[in-house]
Amino acid sequence: MADVKALEYSTMKVPYEILNKKFRAAQKVIDREVSLVVSATNDLTNSLGTVPVKVGEITGFLDGVVQKLQSLKRKSEECLSQEESCLRHCRARLDHIKEHADERKSAVILWKKKRLDRMLVDHCLRSGYYETAIKLAKDSEIEEYVDIDLFLVSRKVEESLLRREIGPCLAWCYENKSKLRKFKSNLEFNVRMQEFVELVRRGDKMEAVRYARKHFPPANVDGTMTKEIQRAMALLAFKPGTSCSPYRELFDLERWGQLVMQFRRENFQLHQLNDQSALAVTLQAGLSALKTPHCYQAGHKSPECPVCSHPLNILGRPLPYAHCAQSRLVCPMSGHIMNENNPPMVLPNGYVYGENALRGMANENDGRVTCPKTKEIFRVDQADKVYVM
Amino acid sequence: MDACLSVEREQERLSKKYNSLKEHADSSLTELINQISNIQEELSKASKDDEVSPLQLHLLNQSSRKVKDTVSKIATEHKELHGGISKIGKAVDRNFVIDNTTCSQPGVFDGENASLLNEVLCEHLFRQGRLDIAEQLIEEGNLQLDDSRKEPFTELNRILEACRERNLDPALQWAQSRHMELKVRGSSLEFRLHKLKFLDLLKEGQHKEALEYSKHFARFASDHTKDVQQLMACLLYSRTGIGNSPYASLLDPVHWLDICDVFARDACALLGLSLESPLQVCITAGCVALPSLLQIRQVMQQRQVTGVWTSKEELPVEVDLGPQYRYHSLFACPILRQQCTDSNPPVRLSCGHVISRDALNKLTNGNKVKCPYCPLEMTPSDARQINFY
Repeated sequence: MADVKALEYSTMKVPYEILNKKFRAAQKVIDREVSLVVSATNDLTNSLGTVPVKVGEITGFLDGVVQKLQSLKRKSEECLSQEESCLRHCRARLDHIKEHADERKSAVILWKKKRLDRMLVDHCLRSGYYETAIKLAKDSEIEEYVDIDLFLVSRKVEESLLRREIGPCLAWCYENKSKLRKFKSNLEFNVRMQEFVELVRRGDKMEAVRYARKHFPPANVDGTMTKEIQRAMALLAFKPGTSCSPYRELFDLERWGQLVMQFRRENFQLHQLNDQSALAVTLQAGLSALKTPHCYQAGHKSPECPVCSHPLNILGRPLPYAHCAQSRLVCPMSGHIMNENNPPMVLPNGYVYGENALRGMANENDGRVTCPKTKEIFRVDQADKVYVM
Repeated sequence: MDACLSVEREQERLSKKYNSLKEHADSSLTELINQISNIQEELSKASKDDEVSPLQLHLLNQSSRKVKDTVSKIATEHKELHGGISKIGKAVDRNFVIDNTTCSQPGVFDGENASLLNEVLCEHLFRQGRLDIAEQLIEEGNLQLDDSRKEPFTELNRILEACRERNLDPALQWAQSRHMELKVRGSSLEFRLHKLKFLDLLKEGQHKEALEYSKHFARFASDHTKDVQQLMACLLYSRTGIGNSPYASLLDPVHWLDICDVFARDACALLGLSLESPLQVCITAGCVALPSLLQIRQVMQQRQVTGVWTSKEELPVEVDLGPQYRYHSLFACPILRQQCTDSNPPVRLSCGHVISRDALNKLTNGNKVKCPYCPLEMTPSDARQINFY
């Protein structure tokens, strides 16, 4: 359970955020429809106020009310069922997570396999390998439990930014306006700024001024952006090839890449995704927990040890070693644990092996054993017991 | 599990609220529409210039009021759902770890390491027989992978593919031709393949063929007596169907998934590849280690212990991954409670107890040292350096 708590936060939180967003949108739609019904009804009651009331005068108003009511009914049904389907999505993920405690061992193994696949899909999505992610999710039947849609939306925005188009990004900002405001995002401002820079770059200075007049003041209501706006306006005096800082930096095309990074960061934040993937976090913990000094010493590597295996060995290098306050002995000959059932025995040359392996070797060689490290030959009864606390 | 249940409770509550709002909105709006339509109908009987009767006027006013009340009530009720929604979010926040990145280093898998990590993923996918997904990853991730890394997996995958389509013949062929090697390894792969094949025949109603097929069990009878008995007992239920017998669990489709795993594992071992996917092992270890690391991190933060663990150090706690994940011997001096190194090697006292050289020096008094675990006294020079690795 502890691992579920540690790893599944965003699995649960992302569909919740989507439900929350859908709710807000639905509330807006319903409020609008309700106000339309109310105003239609007001029109009706107003017409009733002037006596005498003619039948012909009010039928039109009555039609209006009925029409608006029907529209409210249709729209609210639509909204509610959309919200319910978001809620079902939350539910489906929770149900999937609950399977980790299944009584059948095989089901748990399968669940763990799917968890690794979910991590891989998430990693691929974050790295921008969308096709791989989609294929893997489909193959593993975990589409419902990974956030492909979310990343496909961000893919669209990121790709458009790299093509130096700001439309989709601004649309995204508008869609998530209230949330972005909450964590004081300046993404929209930065996008506008970039568009301004592009206008200057093209030499379209009049248009740039118009653009700035329209879009900069609303972003600077609280005065925090004054400095940046001043700097941006000063840009009008420079040519794209300038070597004068900070204007050279403003003209730098790398700024588009920075926008992509900022967008990605804020998109993660918006959906409560951590900036490191579950795969990275878990793999680091796992590598550390398995890492011993031997993994990095020639002659001590073990073929089964993942940290000793090729690419992981390099990946594990910067990470801390496992902490070991309690001895854990593995027989270097058999790879089996040495404990009271397989006590460690020391040969006269100082090397320690498990009793079972030594006895096994002795039985096949007339009571003699060869130390695999030094190739010295001893009689098995020369081996002494070693007591490890 | 409690964590899941408390989120589930909130979800259920909200789901009920949605249901009731949906019903309520639907019925009340339908009622309103009907009511007004009735008035319309009544009015349509009169001619256009007729005056609306006082009774009708009253009805109209009444309905208008009702319309306004009802629709604004629907809007309010929808708004009130927000409480239920945010309760779900809070339950998730309360029960899951919001930020699980506190004890990992950002950027460890960036840059060059990103493609190394992708290599690890690719190998994992190859191992699982998901060739097309691996190829996709190579393409999207721009990886340069040697064909030699793929080849061993190609035959395995052909066989695995067949297994997934419930065709066991290639696997049986493979296993039978390696009967001895598998036996030496103590693998039950061949028997399990026969077992599945037998059950499949039974399930298809081919009782005679199944009976005939059971001859294959003979050579495994001594190692799998009980299994064979169970399998043969299935024949008792061949008429009524095994699904309704005490042996129904034998038909669990999970066995088909299992056999693929067993096959992949044994084949890897025979090909000299590590038994388990290194990535899988690391992630499994990480899932055990991460929760304790997060917890100790939190405690360290609360006590304001400065200086988090860095790359050169060890993890602050011991994570016991269980004996199956021990690949290297680690000897920790029981006196100093730290891992022995080349400069502080383990020494065996004459009585057989092992401590570290530094501990021995500390315990030496004059020319005498007493074993900390038993009454024996000796001179320090009696202690012999030993080697666990």
